[in-house]
Amino acid sequence: MSVLRPLDKLPCLNTATILLVGAEDALLQQLADSMLKEDCASELRVHLAKSLPLPSNVNRPRIDLVVFVINLHSRYSLQNAEASLHHMDTSFFLGRVCFLATGAGQDSHCSVHHNTVRKLARTYRSPLLFCDLEVDAFRASLAQRLVRMLQICAGHVPGVSALNLLSLLRGSESPPPEEL
Amino acid sequence: MLSTALHQFTRGPQSILPEQRKGQKANNSARPAMEPQADDSPDSCSADCGGAGGPPLGAGAGEPRSEGRLALLLRLRAQIKQQLLEYKSMIDANEEQTPDQIIQEKQMEAKVKDLENEIEEVKIAFDMKSLALSRMQLSAALKNDLEKINTESSVLMNTMKEILKLNKSVMKLQQESWELEEKLLDIRKKRLQLKHASENKLLEIQTEKKKRKEELNSMGNSDKIKTMQQILQTEMEIATVIQHVFQNIILGSKVNWAADPALKETVLQLEKDLTTI
Repeated sequence: MSVLRPLDKLPCLNTATILLVGAEDALLQQLADSMLKEDCASELRVHLAKSLPLPSNVNRPRIDLVVFVINLHSRYSLQNAEASLHHMDTSFFLGRVCFLATGAGQDSHCSVHHNTVRKLARTYRSPLLFCDLEVDAFRASLAQRLVRMLQICAGHVPGVSALNLLSLLRGSESPPPEEL
Repeated sequence: MLSTALHQFTRGPQSILPEQRKGQKANNSARPAMEPQADDSPDSCSADCGGAGGPPLGAGAGEPRSEGRLALLLRLRAQIKQQLLEYKSMIDANEEQTPDQIIQEKQMEAKVKDLENEIEEVKIAFDMKSLALSRMQLSAALKNDLEKINTESSVLMNTMKEILKLNKSVMKLQQESWELEEKLLDIRKKRLQLKHASENKLLEIQTEKKKRKEELNSMGNSDKIKTMQQILQTEMEIATVIQHVFQNIILGSKVNWAADPALKETVLQLEKDLTTI
């Protein structure tokens, strides 16, 4: 069981790979399908995983972007994501990791408070996206965003690097509630 | 890798493997790969990542039809450049020594914040420099353009003339509005002055009235008036005595004063009380 490292392999030509980590298969599958429907000049490869570490006996291309999908309705998905975070190399967090929180629309079903996820994203200094993956329109727009992020992280967009994008996304964050 | 890709392009669309045709849309072809993990132990991946080398290149052969081979090559060149840059920067970053001692989390947060601020500053400096550079390029291109073209009639000159005209009218209107404001200000000042003047006048009238009242009051108490009043009093008493004397003389002479009208008048006149005059 190895730690996931970014940039450890040579990139495939015109290929961008994203890894979606989440406890619920259906959501991941839906998101993967929406992403593949997106118009993109480079070839997309979407890998789905329930949790890290990934089996090391498989020959997979280098992973450009890892998205942790956390369902606010289940505490298990948060614990799963936190456990998987330990198996990642720290250099991944320089812009190649993104957190995705779903299910924030139905406040009554939320067993995980959105502040918890916000704190998690802030600790790991990675962008946090909120989206209701059940709704088609939201999922399509989120898929567009993810495809764009993936392109940047894979180096397909000249002039913008993953770290650049990270500092751009950071600008819109508000100070954490404890400091207010 | 690039050479094999070129080789693929020349072969034409027949090189596409059948699996790709299913997933191929207008501009891209992509496949999801599932890595299932049953129960506790993770199983092996079921995605056919073994074919990773072939399919991307095979699918790329379909691109030239829609994108144009030259455009594709240029795009790939830009991609590879960017990826090379990323790897280089990774190597440079890894050369830095990370400190071994355990740093407190708060200190680490502060350090990370400082580094982030540094990144921001460098980005801003770079942006400003590129802005200045593009500005210089623009002015240089403009200069070259002006030298070449006919200065009488061109879109640029027309636009500039339009701009000048508009600026002139803007300035004129601003001047007019400024003058109107000045007039308004003057009128307001005058009004204020008039108000002050009328205030002063009213104050003066008030003080004058007060003075006069005081003078009247004081005059009543002065000594001069008292002595004059006393003299008047004595004179009146003397006159009354004289009146009574004349009356008694006339009455004592036992003359019938009622018969003569002139004498009657005189007697009655002497009866008048002098203090009521």
